[in-house]
Amino acid sequence: MDIIEIKGLRKDYPLGDTIVPALRGVDLTVAEGDFMSIIGPSGSGKTTLLNVIGCIDFATAGSVKVGEHEITSLTDRQITEIRLNKIGFIFQTFNLIPVLNVIENIEFPLLLMKKSAAEARKRADKLIEEVGLKEYAVHRPAELSGGQRQRVAIARALVTNPDIILADEPTANLDSVTGASILELMRRMNEIEKTTFIFSTHDANVLKYARRIVKIKDGLIEKEPALA
Amino acid sequence: MKLIFTIAWRNILRHKGKSLVIGVILFTGAFLMTVGNGVISGMAAGIEKHIVNGFMGDLVLISEAQKSDNILLNLMGSSIEPVTTYKQIKEVLAAQPYVKRFLPVGKNLAMVLDESTSAPGYAYLLGVDFAEYRKMFPESFTVIEGSYPAPGQRALLIPTFARDEFYDFYNIWFLPEGGQVVKENLKKEALANFATLNLSTNVVMMGMTSGINTTTDIRFPVTGINKFGALNQIFGHFCLVDIESYRECLGYFTAADMAAQVPKEEKELLGLEGGDLDSLFGGEMMVSDVKKAPKLKAAALNEPKLSEDGVYNAVFIKLNDGEDYGASLKKLNKALAGTGVRAVTWNKASGPMGGMALIIKSALFIFVMLLFCVAVIIIVNTLTMSALERSSEIGMMRAVGAHKTFIAGMFLGETAILSSVFGGAGILSGIVAVRLIPLLRITTQNDMLQLLYGGNFFNPLLSLGDVGLTAVQLLFVTVVAALYPMRVAVQITPLDAISRD
Repeated sequence: MDIIEIKGLRKDYPLGDTIVPALRGVDLTVAEGDFMSIIGPSGSGKTTLLNVIGCIDFATAGSVKVGEHEITSLTDRQITEIRLNKIGFIFQTFNLIPVLNVIENIEFPLLLMKKSAAEARKRADKLIEEVGLKEYAVHRPAELSGGQRQRVAIARALVTNPDIILADEPTANLDSVTGASILELMRRMNEIEKTTFIFSTHDANVLKYARRIVKIKDGLIEKEPALA
Repeated sequence: MKLIFTIAWRNILRHKGKSLVIGVILFTGAFLMTVGNGVISGMAAGIEKHIVNGFMGDLVLISEAQKSDNILLNLMGSSIEPVTTYKQIKEVLAAQPYVKRFLPVGKNLAMVLDESTSAPGYAYLLGVDFAEYRKMFPESFTVIEGSYPAPGQRALLIPTFARDEFYDFYNIWFLPEGGQVVKENLKKEALANFATLNLSTNVVMMGMTSGINTTTDIRFPVTGINKFGALNQIFGHFCLVDIESYRECLGYFTAADMAAQVPKEEKELLGLEGGDLDSLFGGEMMVSDVKKAPKLKAAALNEPKLSEDGVYNAVFIKLNDGEDYGASLKKLNKALAGTGVRAVTWNKASGPMGGMALIIKSALFIFVMLLFCVAVIIIVNTLTMSALERSSEIGMMRAVGAHKTFIAGMFLGETAILSSVFGGAGILSGIVAVRLIPLLRITTQNDMLQLLYGGNFFNPLLSLGDVGLTAVQLLFVTVVAALYPMRVAVQITPLDAISRD
């Protein structure tokens, strides 16, 4: 069953008097529970595609269906609800809340969902254990390494049991060993939680973890390369 | 809500410097407002207490012909219209259950005459029945030299303040009849010139009223020197005289009365042959000596009925404790219809003095609001910068599902915490200061400061309303200061977070 259906997606950015096309008619479907990588050179449109799927950016034209929602026609409030309930994000630069400690960062989306503090803490405790940071529960993000921060971000993305997790170059700021461990973790979570993962990368080493690879170039999907 | 305040509080701690700057401004504003309100409330309460209990009561009846309600310290020369229906008024007042006590008075300006100077000085005269005055205002003043006038006695009490003023103007130190100079009471300059001090035990005054050209020069024997318990430099402008002498001085007699009162000497004078004109300017004929007042008038003093028939300028009224001014005023004015007088409240009758508290309160309010405006500008700038610096964090929050209301709440929470912590501390410090100031017993002899103090010593007071007003101002500052940064913050999108990276 497809969880994402994209048809004729265009995204243009105005740059002064000129229009820069970032996506030029993307057609793509993603199956539920997939572990998919979007690859391509810098400026190819990977991040823009992820942003549109994640309701962070808006399409100029075309249709984007996430689950049963056609997201191109929703209000800000509805889109926020989708981001909260259906989608998890892992950013390249981790983007944790600096004034909250590790466990509070993980439970943050649950508290936004108005879950009780006890319920949120129980779920956060489970995930912090799964990402191997239990002993860092009360540490602030500034006291963690890059890899540890990204683990926190993964736990935070998973805490709401979203349908999809979007990760934009999650290993870009990490060394190769830490990057590999993060991808291992994501893969494991995909298997345990059955969550759909879509991540962008231009790191060839990452590709061996993907079950599906989509190549994008100049704002268009190219033929999917065969898996190694 | 807990999450919002947790993030807000930790952000405040994270940006200690900025928070401290905002906090100090809020603290200062709240402190000044609280103390200022305390000073003004103390002043208002003091002025009310001293005027109501010590000088003119809660309500004042004045003639309907009187243009201005202000009869206390009105402009020089503007006279107070006479009230001629006191007998009728007395019956009405006696029938009002909310009226505790009342006192008819004469009040006008008199010229103080002295042979040694061509430029006349002035004094306010308050003509009263001394026995009734003491019942109405038992603790208003003390007689520090001489004695309190006996019932029916022709008398003049000069307040210490007026005596000092007379000394400055005429170089005469007034003493009560038969009294000695009390060195401790001497003005500093008078003490320095003690050896050559000009002493006098009587003063000549001539009433000043518009429309009556029959005022008389009266030589008043000084009966005593009095000092008001509070606001002596304000009330000390008023020399208290017996009502009969006052009327005589102001010319408040009918033509028939005058005819009946022409003394024998004047009758002889009127019958003089034209060749003896020098007699016109001899002796004491131009100055009526109250000791030599005609027997007809002396007899009148012993008959209160006659006194009540005479002319006054106002009636001071004290209400029962806890009576509502507005309601009493309304009822009284209704009851007094047809008597030719109207009732006004003490603060209207006392003119600028009664409105002083409101004027100063308004000025303080504007000053503190200006201070708060500065606080708002600084808070808005600081929080807006903070919002922009935290674009990634805010954008990320939005990306993971935070609604705009959550972001707005976070900023409002930060301002609310700063306001309640620092503003609250300012209010509490203000309350403590207001409670401590009276213990210092700060006193003053200065006119303006006495008004500001509401009496002779500085006694600020705080009501719940005053504290509430400061809290409302703080709330206003909080909301206004948070509005723009909130707007900036909620416009940050998840994309801004990523773009910044």
